Amino acid sequence: MELPYYPINDFEPLMKGMVIGGMGIFHVFLAQFAIGGGIVMCYFQWLAHTNRSPLARRFLDSYFNALVLISFVVGALTGVGMWFTTIQTSPRTIGMMVDEFHWVWATEWTFFCVEVVAGYAFYRYAAQLTDRSRMRLLVIYSLAAWFSLFWINGILSWQLTPGRWAEGGSVWAGFFNPSFWPSLFYRTAASMTIASLVACIVINTIPDLDREERRHLISRAGRLLLPMVFMPVLGVWYLAVIPADSRSWVLGGSAAMTMFMLLAVGASLLIGLYALIGLLGQRLYINGATATLLAVLAFAASAGGEFVREGVRKPYTIRETLYSNSLTQADVERLRRVGSVTDDPYPLRDAQAYPNNQLQLGAKVFRFQCNICHTMSGANGLTHLTGSWLVDQMRMNIAKLQHTKPFMPPFAGTPEELEALVQLLKWVSGGRPNQWPVSDDPKVFADLRRWLDEAGTAPGIAAAMAAKDRKKGD
Amino acid sequence: MDRVFPFGFPFPTAFYLTLYVVTLVIHVVFMNYVLAGGGYLAVGSFLGSRRDANNATGDATSILRDWMPFAVSATITAGVAPLLFLQILYQRDFYSANLLLFHRWMSIVPVLIVGFYLSYLYKGRTIGHRSAVWRTVIGVVAFACYFFTAYSWTENHLLSQRRDIWPVFYASERMMYFTPSLWLRLGLWVSGSVATMVTIVSWQLWFARRHGGDVREGEARRAATLALCGIGVSVACAAAYTAALGDGVFKVVTGALGAPYLVAAMVGLAVQAAVWIAQRRSQEFRGGFLAFASAGALLSIIGMTVVREAIRLAGTDVATLYPQHAADLSVGGLPVFLAFFAINAVVVGLCFRLVHRGRLKAGGGA
Repeated sequence: MELPYYPINDFEPLMKGMVIGGMGIFHVFLAQFAIGGGIVMCYFQWLAHTNRSPLARRFLDSYFNALVLISFVVGALTGVGMWFTTIQTSPRTIGMMVDEFHWVWATEWTFFCVEVVAGYAFYRYAAQLTDRSRMRLLVIYSLAAWFSLFWINGILSWQLTPGRWAEGGSVWAGFFNPSFWPSLFYRTAASMTIASLVACIVINTIPDLDREERRHLISRAGRLLLPMVFMPVLGVWYLAVIPADSRSWVLGGSAAMTMFMLLAVGASLLIGLYALIGLLGQRLYINGATATLLAVLAFAASAGGEFVREGVRKPYTIRETLYSNSLTQADVERLRRVGSVTDDPYPLRDAQAYPNNQLQLGAKVFRFQCNICHTMSGANGLTHLTGSWLVDQMRMNIAKLQHTKPFMPPFAGTPEELEALVQLLKWVSGGRPNQWPVSDDPKVFADLRRWLDEAGTAPGIAAAMAAKDRKKGD
Repeated sequence: MDRVFPFGFPFPTAFYLTLYVVTLVIHVVFMNYVLAGGGYLAVGSFLGSRRDANNATGDATSILRDWMPFAVSATITAGVAPLLFLQILYQRDFYSANLLLFHRWMSIVPVLIVGFYLSYLYKGRTIGHRSAVWRTVIGVVAFACYFFTAYSWTENHLLSQRRDIWPVFYASERMMYFTPSLWLRLGLWVSGSVATMVTIVSWQLWFARRHGGDVREGEARRAATLALCGIGVSVACAAAYTAALGDGVFKVVTGALGAPYLVAAMVGLAVQAAVWIAQRRSQEFRGGFLAFASAGALLSIIGMTVVREAIRLAGTDVATLYPQHAADLSVGGLPVFLAFFAINAVVVGLCFRLVHRGRLKAGGGA
């Protein structure tokens, strides 16, 4: 297949991952609120029409308004925003996902339609409906919302654990992949947690409720935190089924990944403990501020979890298929011969800023291969990451990139392009002087070619894991 | 391109083109309601500030104010499916236009969020019913948000078809693409949305009247006049836009591929015009008239949507896309989609039935 070249934008000083991560975390949090919110409302509707809680109906009206105003508006639009942001970050990745799973997405869309119709029917007419009709509408809404999670979960989990799909299996082999079920159940529990905590906030905003009435409603909402007890088991299940190298990143292999994992676990643990002691044991009263703080902790847990989910895919965006720089292994092999930017039709926007053609070539290589995850001097900036490397060290480290850092993809270009990138990094680190010599020593190019050949085009994670196993054996 | 759309293309391409057009038509119906309805509310809030608009019922303003949030939600949801099939059909073109327009394009997300919330504010009693000034500001800003989104989509659509200028456009860092035909094309779609919106609102007023609600005197006449104005302007924009098309594109649109749909669109417009002229003479909305107006509007939307696609196809080397479309159709999942489409269509029907019967049983009226 022809390699598509896209007009790549620079987000500096932000890295693209921060933009899509920020949008993604926000969207996931709101979407999970919508999913759990449906379950919370079904429960309270049941309490209302079985006369188990005379206050449940008042809560329902307030809660549903919050759900509509937050989830239906921002949740829905950030969903579209996710699509657009992913296109900005990695058009080839989202393109491949759409090509492979468009019928799954189309199926999810039919559930969106049900969600919107059932939700708005309840929003507009709930006050005029019988309890039985209200309950049925809410059940339809909840099922539709949960099924939207079901479908998107298959696509997202496939990115990390494509399972038998990677061996030529069907789309369903990819959909029902090894991490599908633990991820689905975990997200369901997370959804109920978020919705329950938001319920506690809403209860504190309902006027004319006395403290005992609030305590009663909070206690009921707190019961929906119960699925949290399964989260540790589901988390362990998830870790057990993801690839060993991905697991190693979160278990100490990568400081950032481990830290975010601990953030997710720690925040969840705090919420769980508070739920256990305060809400289920009814020993603590939860006011609006505390409820908000717990919801913020849930947001932090979601943020940590999503960061880990995105991060552990490295060096891929689609495991065993597409490297994180949107290239396949076959692309890398070809681009090592013909050059990665030889056919790139897009000029540099600041070509005149570079003193020579070699630096311009380096800038195009940086844009094509590195810019998706790195900036030049901003967040995750290459000049910071490589600042202490000597020039020969830099040449070899980049030529053998996937072995230098196993979560990096292999360099996908010719020795000339690699040398151009090295010169660019040195030029930027050197303060962008007006004059810069062209590096054209044949021995350098010969060394680079040899190192590239030695490194190969396969990912470095297998070699890294083998080395780790050998170390354990010793 | 020598056969009627979508025939003449290999099956996978024809299949995705059909799905794209069908789902886009659904999206356009809701979009027309939001775009023209937003404009109506903006103008109405300004002009209506002299009368007691706060308590007005039984007119287009009250209907639109009440239903706009749902309509925005429905428009966005209905837009997901054509957005999906667009990525199958013209992936590289669409993605490239997205990237070239960068922040400008991405800004439609926060802008729509603002428009969405303003539609809730407009509907609510806190601001929307209290102050004429605030109501005007909210109405105008909300419409500006919807219009900006429409403008951006037009811009994106046109840029996506200009592969020849992408590198130069990228180098220029402009993030705004303008071509003289942009305003004509946008004018055609915006003015064309008026008649659709009027038809739907008229049905809502007709339905309200049928169930004992009041309809403001002269509303049917006003609606007909508005629809006729919309049709008139859209015909003028269509003529100017057609004149601006290049010879090659014009031949495709008026050739076998697009001609039947162009004729359908014109017939649809003629039917609508005739119906609204007749309706204008009547004091109240008539179901028969509205049925014909709906059929005419649908015919126009289908016709214009296919003509829009024919223009794009005329400028695209579509044969290069055939292998990818065939590969996409070979992936599994279509039967599952069709099954859930049918099931969920029934469930949506069930929701309507639940509301209808639930209200009857609860004594809330039909």
